[in-house]
Amino acid sequence: MSEPSIKDFEAAIAELESIVKKLEDGDLSLEQSLALYERGVTLSKFCHARLEDAERRIELLSERGELRPAPAGLAGDDPTR
Amino acid sequence: MSDLFDLPFEEEPEPEPAPSEAATSPGRVDGLGLSKVEGRRILSVTELTVRVRDHLEERFFEVWVEGELSGVKIWNTGHLYFTLKDSSSVLKGLMFRSALRYLKFKPVDGLHVVARGKISVYEPKGEYQIVCEHLEPQGLGGLQLAFEQLKKRLQAEGLFDAAKKRPLPLLPRKIGVVTSLDGAAVRDILKVLRRRYRNVHVVIRPTKVQGDGAAAEIAHALRQIVKVPHVDVVIVGRGGGSLEDLWAFNEEPVARAISISPIPVISAVGHESDVTIADLAADVRAPTPSAAAELVVARKDDVGNRIDRLHERLVSCAHARVQRLSRRVHELSGRRALAGYTTRLAMTQRRADELTRTLADALRTAFAARSRRLQTIERRLDAFDLGRRLARNRTALVAVDGKLRQTATARTHRARAQFGRLAGRLESLSPLAVLARGYAVCWNDERTKAIRDAADVATGDTIHVTLSRGAIAAKVSGIE
Repeated sequence: MSEPSIKDFEAAIAELESIVKKLEDGDLSLEQSLALYERGVTLSKFCHARLEDAERRIELLSERGELRPAPAGLAGDDPTR
Repeated sequence: MSDLFDLPFEEEPEPEPAPSEAATSPGRVDGLGLSKVEGRRILSVTELTVRVRDHLEERFFEVWVEGELSGVKIWNTGHLYFTLKDSSSVLKGLMFRSALRYLKFKPVDGLHVVARGKISVYEPKGEYQIVCEHLEPQGLGGLQLAFEQLKKRLQAEGLFDAAKKRPLPLLPRKIGVVTSLDGAAVRDILKVLRRRYRNVHVVIRPTKVQGDGAAAEIAHALRQIVKVPHVDVVIVGRGGGSLEDLWAFNEEPVARAISISPIPVISAVGHESDVTIADLAADVRAPTPSAAAELVVARKDDVGNRIDRLHERLVSCAHARVQRLSRRVHELSGRRALAGYTTRLAMTQRRADELTRTLADALRTAFAARSRRLQTIERRLDAFDLGRRLARNRTALVAVDGKLRQTATARTHRARAQFGRLAGRLESLSPLAVLARGYAVCWNDERTKAIRDAADVATGDTIHVTLSRGAIAAKVSGIE
Protein backbone atom coordinates (compact mmCIF):
# COMPACT_ATOMS: atom_id res chain seq x y z
CA MET A 1 0.00 0.00 0.00
CA SER A 2 3.04 2.23 -0.07
CA GLU A 3 2.33 3.30 -3.63
CA PRO A 4 -1.02 5.05 -3.97
CA SER A 5 -1.18 4.63 -7.72
CA ILE A 6 -1.01 0.85 -7.43
CA LYS A 7 -4.53 -0.40 -6.99
CA ASP A 8 -3.92 -3.90 -5.81
CA PHE A 9 -1.62 -6.81 -6.07
CA GLU A 10 -3.16 -8.43 -9.11
CA ALA A 11 -3.33 -5.16 -11.01
CA ALA A 12 0.33 -4.57 -10.14
CA ILE A 13 1.39 -7.93 -11.54
CA ALA A 14 -0.62 -7.42 -14.68
CA GLU A 15 0.94 -4.01 -15.21
CA LEU A 16 4.42 -5.32 -14.52
CA GLU A 17 3.89 -8.01 -17.11
CA SER A 18 2.77 -5.58 -19.75
CA ILE A 19 5.72 -3.28 -19.01
CA VAL A 20 8.25 -6.08 -19.40
CA LYS A 21 6.60 -7.08 -22.63
CA LYS A 22 6.73 -3.54 -24.01
CA LEU A 23 10.38 -3.19 -23.05
CA GLU A 24 11.25 -6.49 -24.65
CA ASP A 25 9.47 -5.56 -27.84
CA GLY A 26 11.69 -2.46 -28.06
CA ASP A 27 10.81 0.40 -30.39
CA LEU A 28 10.57 2.86 -27.55
CA SER A 29 12.32 6.14 -27.08
CA LEU A 30 14.93 6.28 -24.39
CA GLU A 31 12.70 8.45 -22.24
CA GLN A 32 9.82 6.02 -22.56
CA SER A 33 11.99 3.05 -21.73
CA LEU A 34 13.41 4.75 -18.69
CA ALA A 35 9.97 5.75 -17.44
CA LEU A 36 8.71 2.20 -17.94
CA TYR A 37 11.73 0.73 -16.27
CA GLU A 38 11.27 2.94 -13.27
CA ARG A 39 7.61 2.06 -13.02
CA GLY A 40 8.46 -1.61 -13.39
CA VAL A 41 10.93 -1.49 -10.53
CA THR A 42 8.35 0.22 -8.32
CA LEU A 43 5.77 -2.43 -9.15
CA SER A 44 8.11 -5.29 -8.56
CA LYS A 45 9.11 -3.88 -5.20
CA PHE A 46 5.49 -3.40 -4.28
CA CYS A 47 4.66 -7.00 -5.17
CA HIS A 48 7.58 -8.36 -3.20
CA ALA A 49 6.62 -6.28 -0.23
CA ARG A 50 3.05 -7.50 -0.42
CA LEU A 51 4.22 -11.11 -0.54
CA GLU A 52 6.24 -10.72 2.61
CA ASP A 53 4.47 -8.02 4.57
CA ALA A 54 1.71 -10.08 6.18
CA GLU A 55 2.58 -11.70 9.46
CA ARG A 56 1.37 -15.14 10.36
CA ARG A 57 -1.87 -14.76 12.25
CA ILE A 58 -4.65 -17.14 13.10
CA GLU A 59 -7.87 -15.58 14.33
CA LEU A 60 -11.24 -16.90 15.34
CA LEU A 61 -14.44 -15.20 14.25
CA SER A 62 -17.22 -15.53 16.81
CA GLU A 63 -20.89 -15.86 16.05
CA ARG A 64 -21.28 -12.24 17.06
CA GLY A 65 -18.70 -11.23 14.47
CA GLU A 66 -15.82 -10.61 16.88
CA LEU A 67 -12.26 -11.52 16.01
CA ARG A 68 -9.83 -12.86 18.59
CA PRO A 69 -6.52 -14.72 18.32
CA ALA A 70 -6.82 -18.49 18.08
CA PRO A 71 -5.53 -20.54 21.01
CA ALA A 72 -1.87 -21.48 20.64
CA GLY A 73 -2.65 -25.20 20.39
CA LEU A 74 -4.81 -24.67 17.36
CA ALA A 75 -2.37 -22.40 15.57
CA GLY A 76 -0.17 -25.42 15.10
CA ASP A 77 2.60 -25.32 17.64
CA ASP A 78 2.53 -29.08 17.54
CA PRO A 79 5.44 -30.80 15.85
CA THR A 80 5.77 -29.71 12.25
CA ARG A 81 6.90 -31.88 9.48
CA MET B 1 -44.56 -54.57 11.88
CA SER B 2 -45.22 -56.86 9.03
CA ASP B 3 -46.77 -59.63 11.10
CA LEU B 4 -49.80 -57.40 11.31
CA PHE B 5 -49.75 -56.96 7.60
CA ASP B 6 -49.56 -60.68 7.09
CA LEU B 7 -52.84 -61.29 8.83
CA PRO B 8 -55.49 -61.45 6.16
CA PHE B 9 -58.43 -59.23 6.86
CA GLU B 10 -61.01 -61.82 5.75
CA GLU B 11 -59.84 -64.55 8.07
CA GLU B 12 -60.34 -62.38 11.04
CA PRO B 13 -62.37 -64.59 13.40
CA GLU B 14 -63.62 -61.48 15.00
CA PRO B 15 -66.71 -62.07 17.08
CA GLU B 16 -66.36 -58.75 18.72
CA PRO B 17 -68.97 -56.10 18.11
CA ALA B 18 -69.21 -52.77 19.80
CA PRO B 19 -69.94 -53.37 23.48
CA SER B 20 -73.40 -51.87 23.17
CA GLU B 21 -74.33 -54.25 20.43
CA ALA B 22 -72.94 -57.32 22.08
CA ALA B 23 -75.89 -57.35 24.37
CA THR B 24 -78.47 -56.91 21.69
CA SER B 25 -77.14 -59.46 19.23
CA PRO B 26 -76.75 -62.83 20.74
CA GLY B 27 -77.03 -64.61 17.37
CA ARG B 28 -74.58 -65.12 14.53
CA VAL B 29 -72.46 -62.23 14.02
CA ASP B 30 -70.31 -61.44 11.04
CA GLY B 31 -66.98 -59.78 11.12
CA LEU B 32 -68.38 -56.32 11.40
CA GLY B 33 -70.71 -57.08 14.23
CA LEU B 34 -73.86 -57.09 12.16
CA SER B 35 -76.58 -59.44 13.06
CA LYS B 36 -78.17 -60.94 9.99
CA VAL B 37 -80.89 -62.92 11.53
CA GLU B 38 -82.13 -61.67 14.77
CA GLY B 39 -83.37 -58.27 15.70
CA ARG B 40 -82.70 -56.63 12.41
CA ARG B 41 -80.47 -53.79 13.40
CA ILE B 42 -80.36 -50.99 10.92
CA LEU B 43 -77.34 -48.72 10.92
CA SER B 44 -76.98 -45.33 9.50
CA VAL B 45 -74.26 -44.89 6.89
CA THR B 46 -72.25 -42.93 9.35
CA GLU B 47 -72.55 -45.55 12.02
CA LEU B 48 -71.36 -48.18 9.63
CA THR B 49 -68.59 -46.08 8.32
CA VAL B 50 -67.38 -45.31 11.81
CA ARG B 51 -67.34 -48.98 12.62
CA VAL B 52 -65.43 -49.80 9.49
CA ARG B 53 -62.97 -47.07 10.30
CA ASP B 54 -62.44 -48.15 13.87
CA HIS B 55 -61.97 -51.68 12.76
CA LEU B 56 -59.46 -50.87 10.07
CA GLU B 57 -57.51 -48.50 12.25
CA GLU B 58 -57.19 -51.09 14.92
CA ARG B 59 -56.26 -53.88 12.57
CA PHE B 60 -53.86 -51.94 10.40
CA PHE B 61 -52.33 -49.73 12.99
CA GLU B 62 -48.90 -49.95 11.46
CA VAL B 63 -48.38 -51.40 7.99
CA TRP B 64 -45.68 -51.20 5.40
CA VAL B 65 -46.78 -51.09 1.84
CA GLU B 66 -44.81 -50.83 -1.34
CA GLY B 67 -45.94 -49.25 -4.60
CA GLU B 68 -45.52 -46.53 -7.15
CA LEU B 69 -46.46 -42.97 -6.33
CA SER B 70 -48.92 -41.21 -8.58
CA GLY B 71 -51.19 -38.18 -8.36
CA VAL B 72 -48.81 -36.60 -5.88
CA LYS B 73 -50.09 -33.28 -4.68
CA ILE B 74 -49.31 -31.02 -1.77
CA TRP B 75 -52.29 -28.94 -0.75
CA ASN B 76 -51.96 -25.45 0.59
CA THR B 77 -52.56 -26.88 4.04
CA GLY B 78 -49.15 -28.46 3.60
CA HIS B 79 -50.46 -32.01 3.60
CA LEU B 80 -49.44 -34.45 0.92
CA TYR B 81 -52.00 -36.50 -1.05
CA PHE B 82 -51.10 -39.34 -3.34
CA THR B 83 -52.09 -42.70 -4.73
CA LEU B 84 -49.99 -45.76 -4.31
CA LYS B 85 -50.42 -48.39 -6.97
CA ASP B 86 -49.11 -51.60 -8.36
CA SER B 87 -50.12 -53.52 -11.48
CA SER B 88 -53.66 -54.25 -10.35
CA SER B 89 -54.63 -52.18 -7.32
CA VAL B 90 -54.54 -48.66 -6.00
CA LEU B 91 -54.41 -47.28 -2.48
CA LYS B 92 -55.18 -43.68 -1.60
CA GLY B 93 -52.66 -42.08 0.70
CA LEU B 94 -52.18 -39.00 2.80
CA MET B 95 -49.23 -37.62 4.70
CA PHE B 96 -49.62 -34.79 7.17
CA ARG B 97 -47.39 -31.79 7.04
CA SER B 98 -45.92 -32.67 10.43
CA ALA B 99 -44.60 -35.96 9.05
CA LEU B 100 -43.72 -34.57 5.65
CA ARG B 101 -41.27 -32.18 7.25
CA TYR B 102 -38.86 -34.98 8.02
CA LEU B 103 -38.58 -36.22 4.46
CA LYS B 104 -35.22 -35.35 2.91
CA PHE B 105 -36.43 -36.04 -0.61
CA LYS B 106 -39.42 -34.72 -2.44
CA PRO B 107 -42.12 -37.30 -3.31
CA VAL B 108 -42.86 -37.19 -7.02
CA ASP B 109 -45.01 -39.20 -9.42
CA GLY B 110 -43.50 -42.44 -10.64
CA LEU B 111 -41.28 -42.90 -7.63
CA HIS B 112 -41.22 -46.39 -6.22
CA VAL B 113 -41.66 -46.14 -2.46
CA VAL B 114 -42.32 -48.03 0.73
CA ALA B 115 -44.89 -46.29 2.89
CA ARG B 116 -45.33 -46.84 6.58
CA GLY B 117 -48.56 -45.83 8.28
CA LYS B 118 -52.03 -46.88 9.38
CA ILE B 119 -55.12 -47.52 7.36
CA SER B 120 -58.04 -45.22 7.96
CA VAL B 121 -61.27 -44.20 6.33
CA TYR B 122 -62.23 -40.89 4.89
CA GLU B 123 -65.87 -40.82 5.86
CA PRO B 124 -67.26 -38.18 3.50
CA LYS B 125 -66.20 -40.33 0.58
CA GLY B 126 -66.30 -43.76 2.08
CA GLU B 127 -62.74 -44.33 1.01
CA TYR B 128 -60.10 -46.09 2.92
CA GLN B 129 -56.58 -44.77 2.71
CA ILE B 130 -53.18 -45.03 4.27
CA VAL B 131 -52.19 -42.23 6.60
CA CYS B 132 -48.50 -42.23 6.03
CA GLU B 133 -45.93 -41.67 8.76
CA HIS B 134 -42.89 -42.16 6.60
CA LEU B 135 -41.99 -42.64 2.99
CA GLU B 136 -38.80 -44.16 1.74
CA PRO B 137 -37.74 -44.48 -1.84
CA GLN B 138 -36.99 -48.01 -3.01
CA GLY B 139 -33.66 -48.64 -4.65
CA LEU B 140 -31.87 -45.36 -3.92
CA GLY B 141 -31.66 -44.41 -0.30
CA GLY B 142 -33.69 -41.42 0.75
CA LEU B 143 -30.63 -39.23 1.16
CA GLN B 144 -29.32 -40.27 -2.21
CA LEU B 145 -32.60 -39.35 -3.80
CA ALA B 146 -32.72 -36.06 -1.95
CA PHE B 147 -29.24 -35.33 -3.24
CA GLU B 148 -30.20 -36.08 -6.82
CA GLN B 149 -33.31 -33.97 -6.58
CA LEU B 150 -31.61 -30.93 -5.08
CA LYS B 151 -28.76 -31.23 -7.53
CA LYS B 152 -31.15 -31.28 -10.44
CA ARG B 153 -33.06 -28.28 -9.16
CA LEU B 154 -30.05 -26.10 -8.41
CA GLN B 155 -28.47 -27.10 -11.68
CA ALA B 156 -31.55 -25.95 -13.54
CA GLU B 157 -31.29 -22.68 -11.65
CA GLY B 158 -27.73 -22.24 -12.88
CA LEU B 159 -26.09 -22.42 -9.48
CA PHE B 160 -23.36 -24.74 -10.71
CA ASP B 161 -22.69 -22.99 -14.03
CA ALA B 162 -19.07 -22.99 -15.06
CA ALA B 163 -19.45 -19.34 -16.01
CA LYS B 164 -20.17 -18.55 -12.37
CA LYS B 165 -16.87 -19.99 -11.18
CA ARG B 166 -14.40 -17.32 -10.18
CA PRO B 167 -10.65 -17.66 -10.24
CA LEU B 168 -8.87 -17.79 -6.90
CA PRO B 169 -7.10 -14.58 -5.90
CA LEU B 170 -3.39 -14.51 -6.64
CA LEU B 171 -2.54 -13.41 -3.16
CA PRO B 172 -5.34 -13.54 -0.59
CA ARG B 173 -4.74 -10.99 2.13
CA LYS B 174 -6.65 -13.18 4.58
CA ILE B 175 -7.88 -16.72 4.15
CA GLY B 176 -11.26 -17.56 5.66
CA VAL B 177 -11.97 -21.03 6.99
CA VAL B 178 -15.42 -22.30 7.91
CA THR B 179 -15.29 -25.63 9.69
CA SER B 180 -15.47 -27.31 13.06
CA LEU B 181 -12.70 -26.74 15.58
CA ASP B 182 -13.06 -30.34 16.75
CA GLY B 183 -12.38 -32.12 13.48
CA ALA B 184 -9.12 -32.92 11.78
CA ALA B 185 -9.92 -30.56 8.95
CA VAL B 186 -8.92 -27.35 10.72
CA ARG B 187 -5.60 -28.82 11.84
CA ASP B 188 -4.88 -30.19 8.40
CA ILE B 189 -5.52 -26.85 6.82
CA LEU B 190 -3.39 -24.91 9.31
CA LYS B 191 -0.57 -27.43 9.08
CA VAL B 192 -0.34 -27.11 5.31
CA LEU B 193 -0.56 -23.35 5.43
CA ARG B 194 2.16 -23.18 8.07
CA ARG B 195 4.48 -25.43 6.15
CA ARG B 196 4.01 -23.61 2.87
CA TYR B 197 3.77 -20.02 3.97
CA ARG B 198 4.72 -18.72 7.32
CA ASN B 199 3.21 -15.26 6.99
CA VAL B 200 -0.31 -16.30 6.19
CA HIS B 201 -3.28 -14.65 7.86
CA VAL B 202 -6.18 -17.00 8.60
CA VAL B 203 -9.61 -16.22 10.00
CA ILE B 204 -11.50 -19.26 11.24
CA ARG B 205 -15.23 -19.25 11.80
CA PRO B 206 -15.94 -22.32 13.93
CA THR B 207 -19.21 -24.07 13.14
CA LYS B 208 -21.05 -27.28 13.63
CA VAL B 209 -20.55 -29.50 10.56
CA GLN B 210 -23.00 -32.31 11.22
CA GLY B 211 -26.26 -33.02 12.96
CA ASP B 212 -29.40 -31.00 13.31
CA GLY B 213 -29.10 -27.39 12.24
CA ALA B 214 -25.58 -27.83 10.89
CA ALA B 215 -26.53 -26.66 7.40
CA ALA B 216 -28.09 -23.46 8.69
CA GLU B 217 -25.07 -22.82 10.87
CA ILE B 218 -22.60 -23.35 8.05
CA ALA B 219 -24.62 -21.08 5.80
CA HIS B 220 -24.70 -18.40 8.47
CA ALA B 221 -20.97 -18.72 9.11
CA LEU B 222 -20.28 -18.34 5.40
CA ARG B 223 -22.39 -15.25 5.07
CA GLN B 224 -20.58 -13.80 8.07
CA ILE B 225 -16.98 -14.56 7.17
CA VAL B 226 -17.16 -13.16 3.65
CA LYS B 227 -17.85 -9.79 5.22
CA VAL B 228 -14.63 -9.71 7.24
CA PRO B 229 -12.40 -7.07 5.64
CA HIS B 230 -9.55 -8.46 3.51
CA VAL B 231 -10.80 -12.03 3.56
CA ASP B 232 -10.29 -12.73 -0.14
CA VAL B 233 -11.10 -16.43 -0.27
CA VAL B 234 -12.93 -18.95 1.93
CA ILE B 235 -12.39 -22.64 2.53
CA VAL B 236 -15.52 -24.41 3.74
CA GLY B 237 -15.48 -28.06 4.67
CA ARG B 238 -14.87 -30.94 7.02
CA GLY B 239 -13.12 -34.25 7.14
CA GLY B 240 -14.53 -37.42 5.64
CA GLY B 241 -17.48 -39.33 7.04
CA SER B 242 -20.59 -41.24 6.15
CA LEU B 243 -23.17 -39.80 3.81
CA GLU B 244 -25.21 -38.82 6.86
CA ASP B 245 -22.22 -37.09 8.44
CA LEU B 246 -21.60 -35.05 5.32
CA TRP B 247 -25.24 -34.34 4.84
CA ALA B 248 -25.18 -30.68 5.84
CA PHE B 249 -23.02 -30.01 2.79
CA ASN B 250 -25.77 -31.44 0.62
CA GLU B 251 -28.38 -29.03 1.86
CA GLU B 252 -29.75 -26.08 0.06
CA PRO B 253 -28.86 -23.30 2.55
CA VAL B 254 -25.15 -24.13 2.26
CA ALA B 255 -25.28 -24.19 -1.53
CA ARG B 256 -27.09 -20.85 -1.53
CA ALA B 257 -24.64 -19.23 0.88
CA ILE B 258 -21.75 -20.39 -1.31
CA SER B 259 -23.41 -19.17 -4.45
CA ILE B 260 -24.06 -15.64 -3.15
CA SER B 261 -20.60 -15.24 -1.65
CA PRO B 262 -18.89 -12.15 -3.07
CA ILE B 263 -15.50 -13.87 -2.86
CA PRO B 264 -14.37 -17.23 -4.24
CA VAL B 265 -15.20 -20.29 -2.13
CA ILE B 266 -13.20 -23.50 -2.03
CA SER B 267 -15.18 -26.50 -0.85
CA ALA B 268 -13.30 -29.25 0.93
CA VAL B 269 -15.62 -31.95 2.12
CA GLY B 270 -14.59 -35.43 3.12
CA HIS B 271 -12.51 -37.65 0.98
CA GLU B 272 -12.09 -37.76 -2.71
CA SER B 273 -15.04 -39.92 -3.61
CA ASP B 274 -17.74 -37.83 -1.98
CA VAL B 275 -19.02 -35.04 -4.17
CA THR B 276 -21.45 -32.82 -2.35
CA ILE B 277 -23.86 -30.13 -3.45
CA ALA B 278 -21.48 -27.67 -1.75
CA ASP B 279 -18.69 -28.95 -4.00
CA LEU B 280 -20.82 -28.30 -7.04
CA ALA B 281 -21.74 -24.80 -5.93
CA ALA B 282 -18.22 -23.81 -4.92
CA ASP B 283 -15.87 -21.93 -7.22
CA VAL B 284 -13.21 -24.56 -6.70
CA ARG B 285 -13.60 -28.05 -5.30
CA ALA B 286 -10.77 -29.47 -3.28
CA PRO B 287 -10.95 -33.19 -2.53
CA THR B 288 -9.80 -32.69 1.06
CA PRO B 289 -9.19 -29.83 3.48
CA SER B 290 -5.42 -30.24 3.08
CA ALA B 291 -5.78 -30.00 -0.66
CA ALA B 292 -7.78 -26.81 -0.26
CA ALA B 293 -4.96 -25.30 1.79
CA GLU B 294 -2.44 -26.29 -0.85
CA LEU B 295 -4.55 -24.72 -3.56
CA VAL B 296 -4.52 -21.43 -1.71
CA VAL B 297 -0.82 -21.25 -0.98
CA ALA B 298 0.37 -22.89 -4.16
CA ARG B 299 -0.86 -19.77 -5.81
CA LYS B 300 1.31 -17.70 -3.52
CA ASP B 301 4.42 -19.71 -4.44
CA ASP B 302 3.63 -19.33 -8.10
CA VAL B 303 3.18 -15.65 -7.75
CA GLY B 304 6.48 -15.18 -5.96
CA ASN B 305 8.30 -16.96 -8.77
CA ARG B 306 6.41 -15.05 -11.36
CA ILE B 307 7.38 -11.72 -9.84
CA ASP B 308 11.02 -12.78 -9.61
CA ARG B 309 11.07 -13.75 -13.27
CA LEU B 310 9.40 -10.52 -14.30
CA HIS B 311 11.91 -8.56 -12.32
CA GLU B 312 14.81 -10.35 -13.98
CA ARG B 313 13.39 -9.68 -17.39
CA LEU B 314 12.86 -6.06 -16.52
CA VAL B 315 16.44 -5.57 -15.40
CA SER B 316 17.92 -7.43 -18.34
CA CYS B 317 15.84 -5.31 -20.72
CA ALA B 318 17.21 -2.17 -19.17
CA HIS B 319 20.78 -3.49 -19.31
CA ALA B 320 20.48 -4.39 -22.94
CA ARG B 321 19.08 -0.99 -23.72
CA VAL B 322 21.87 0.85 -21.92
CA GLN B 323 24.50 -1.23 -23.68
CA ARG B 324 23.00 -0.59 -27.07
CA LEU B 325 22.88 3.11 -26.36
CA SER B 326 26.43 3.42 -25.13
CA ARG B 327 27.69 1.51 -28.17
CA ARG B 328 25.85 3.89 -30.40
CA VAL B 329 27.27 6.92 -28.62
CA HIS B 330 30.75 5.57 -29.23
CA GLU B 331 30.06 4.99 -32.86
CA LEU B 332 28.62 8.42 -33.36
CA SER B 333 31.34 10.31 -31.57
CA GLY B 334 33.92 8.57 -33.76
CA ARG B 335 32.32 9.86 -36.92
CA ARG B 336 32.91 13.16 -38.69
CA ALA B 337 29.30 13.26 -39.55
CA LEU B 338 28.69 14.19 -35.99
CA ALA B 339 30.02 17.70 -36.53
CA GLY B 340 27.68 18.21 -39.46
CA TYR B 341 24.96 16.89 -37.39
CA THR B 342 25.59 19.43 -34.67
CA THR B 343 25.44 22.23 -37.20
CA ARG B 344 22.27 20.91 -38.68
CA LEU B 345 20.86 20.71 -35.24
CA ALA B 346 21.76 24.34 -34.54
CA MET B 347 20.18 25.42 -37.81
CA THR B 348 17.09 23.53 -37.05
CA GLN B 349 16.98 25.13 -33.67
CA ARG B 350 17.24 28.57 -35.21
CA ARG B 351 14.59 27.81 -37.74
CA ALA B 352 12.37 26.67 -34.93
CA ASP B 353 13.04 29.89 -33.04
CA GLU B 354 12.14 31.93 -36.10
CA LEU B 355 9.00 30.04 -36.68
CA THR B 356 8.05 30.54 -33.10
CA ARG B 357 8.61 34.25 -33.38
CA THR B 358 6.65 34.47 -36.62
CA LEU B 359 3.87 32.60 -35.07
CA ALA B 360 3.90 34.85 -32.04
CA ASP B 361 3.83 37.92 -34.25
CA ALA B 362 1.00 36.57 -36.31
CA LEU B 363 -0.89 35.86 -33.18
CA ARG B 364 -0.22 39.30 -31.81
CA THR B 365 -1.34 40.94 -35.09
CA ALA B 366 -4.43 38.88 -35.27
CA PHE B 367 -5.13 39.76 -31.73
CA ALA B 368 -4.57 43.47 -32.26
CA ALA B 369 -6.82 43.47 -35.34
CA ARG B 370 -9.49 41.84 -33.36
CA SER B 371 -9.18 44.20 -30.49
CA ARG B 372 -9.36 47.14 -32.89
CA ARG B 373 -12.46 45.75 -34.43
CA LEU B 374 -13.87 45.33 -31.03
CA GLN B 375 -13.17 48.96 -30.20
CA THR B 376 -14.84 50.06 -33.41
CA ILE B 377 -17.84 48.03 -32.62
CA GLU B 378 -17.90 49.48 -29.15
CA ARG B 379 -17.70 52.95 -30.46
CA ARG B 380 -20.48 52.28 -32.88
CA LEU B 381 -22.52 50.87 -30.12
CA ASP B 382 -21.96 54.03 -28.07
CA ALA B 383 -22.85 56.18 -31.04
CA PHE B 384 -25.90 54.16 -31.71
CA ASP B 385 -27.65 55.31 -28.59
CA LEU B 386 -26.69 58.93 -28.98
CA GLY B 387 -27.55 58.89 -32.65
CA ARG B 388 -30.96 57.57 -31.92
CA ARG B 389 -31.62 60.29 -29.46
CA LEU B 390 -30.39 63.00 -31.78
CA ALA B 391 -31.68 61.55 -34.99
CA ARG B 392 -34.00 64.36 -35.79
CA ASN B 393 -31.47 67.05 -34.92
CA ARG B 394 -28.95 65.35 -37.05
CA THR B 395 -31.25 65.29 -40.03
CA ALA B 396 -31.80 68.98 -39.67
CA LEU B 397 -28.14 69.55 -39.21
CA VAL B 398 -27.32 67.63 -42.32
CA ALA B 399 -29.79 69.68 -44.29
CA VAL B 400 -28.33 72.92 -43.04
CA ASP B 401 -24.88 71.68 -43.59
CA GLY B 402 -25.76 70.77 -47.15
CA LYS B 403 -27.03 74.21 -47.83
CA LEU B 404 -24.08 75.86 -46.25
CA ARG B 405 -21.83 73.79 -48.28
CA GLN B 406 -23.62 74.69 -51.48
CA THR B 407 -23.47 78.41 -50.74
CA ALA B 408 -19.84 78.23 -49.77
CA THR B 409 -18.98 76.39 -52.91
CA ALA B 410 -20.73 78.90 -55.12
CA ARG B 411 -18.96 81.74 -53.40
CA THR B 412 -15.68 80.12 -53.70
CA HIS B 413 -16.19 79.67 -57.40
CA ARG B 414 -17.02 83.28 -57.86
CA ALA B 415 -14.08 84.43 -55.77
CA ARG B 416 -11.78 82.20 -57.71
CA ALA B 417 -12.89 83.62 -61.05
CA GLN B 418 -12.49 87.16 -59.79
CA PHE B 419 -9.08 86.32 -58.45
CA GLY B 420 -8.04 85.02 -61.85
CA ARG B 421 -9.01 88.22 -63.54
CA LEU B 422 -7.28 90.40 -60.94
CA ALA B 423 -4.16 88.31 -61.21
CA GLY B 424 -4.07 88.93 -64.97
CA ARG B 425 -4.24 92.63 -64.43
CA LEU B 426 -1.65 92.56 -61.74
CA GLU B 427 0.62 90.78 -64.09
CA SER B 428 0.48 93.57 -66.61
CA LEU B 429 1.21 96.13 -63.92
CA SER B 430 4.27 94.38 -62.62
CA PRO B 431 7.50 96.39 -62.94
CA LEU B 432 9.16 93.13 -63.75
CA ALA B 433 7.38 93.17 -67.04
CA VAL B 434 8.89 96.63 -67.76
CA LEU B 435 12.35 95.47 -66.82
CA ALA B 436 12.05 92.70 -69.34
CA ARG B 437 11.90 95.36 -71.97
CA GLY B 438 15.39 96.73 -70.97
CA TYR B 439 14.53 99.05 -68.15
CA ALA B 440 16.30 98.93 -64.82
CA VAL B 441 15.43 100.08 -61.34
CA CYS B 442 17.96 101.84 -59.16
CA TRP B 443 17.78 101.52 -55.41
CA ASN B 444 19.57 103.41 -52.67
CA ASP B 445 22.19 101.55 -50.73
CA GLU B 446 19.64 100.42 -48.17
CA ARG B 447 17.27 99.26 -50.92
CA THR B 448 14.49 101.15 -49.24
CA LYS B 449 13.76 103.60 -52.04
CA ALA B 450 13.84 103.55 -55.78
CA ILE B 451 15.97 106.45 -57.03
CA ARG B 452 13.87 108.67 -59.20
CA ASP B 453 15.95 111.92 -59.00
CA ALA B 454 19.73 112.25 -59.68
CA ALA B 455 19.82 114.80 -56.91
CA ASP B 456 19.07 112.07 -54.45
CA VAL B 457 22.53 110.58 -54.85
CA ALA B 458 26.05 111.93 -54.46
CA THR B 459 29.27 110.89 -56.07
CA GLY B 460 30.72 107.84 -54.31
CA ASP B 461 27.30 106.51 -53.16
CA THR B 462 26.65 102.88 -53.65
CA ILE B 463 23.49 102.14 -55.53
CA HIS B 464 21.84 98.89 -56.58
CA VAL B 465 20.42 98.26 -59.98
CA THR B 466 17.78 95.69 -60.51
CA LEU B 467 17.68 94.26 -63.97
CA SER B 468 15.22 91.95 -65.62
CA ARG B 469 17.57 89.12 -64.67
CA GLY B 470 19.80 89.70 -61.67
CA ALA B 471 21.00 92.86 -59.97
CA ILE B 472 24.14 94.97 -59.89
CA ALA B 473 25.83 97.01 -57.18
CA ALA B 474 27.38 100.22 -58.58
CA LYS B 475 29.22 103.29 -57.41
CA VAL B 476 28.11 106.75 -58.51
CA SER B 477 31.09 108.18 -60.36
CA GLY B 478 29.50 111.52 -61.14
CA ILE B 479 26.21 113.38 -61.33
CA GLU B 480 25.25 114.44 -64.82
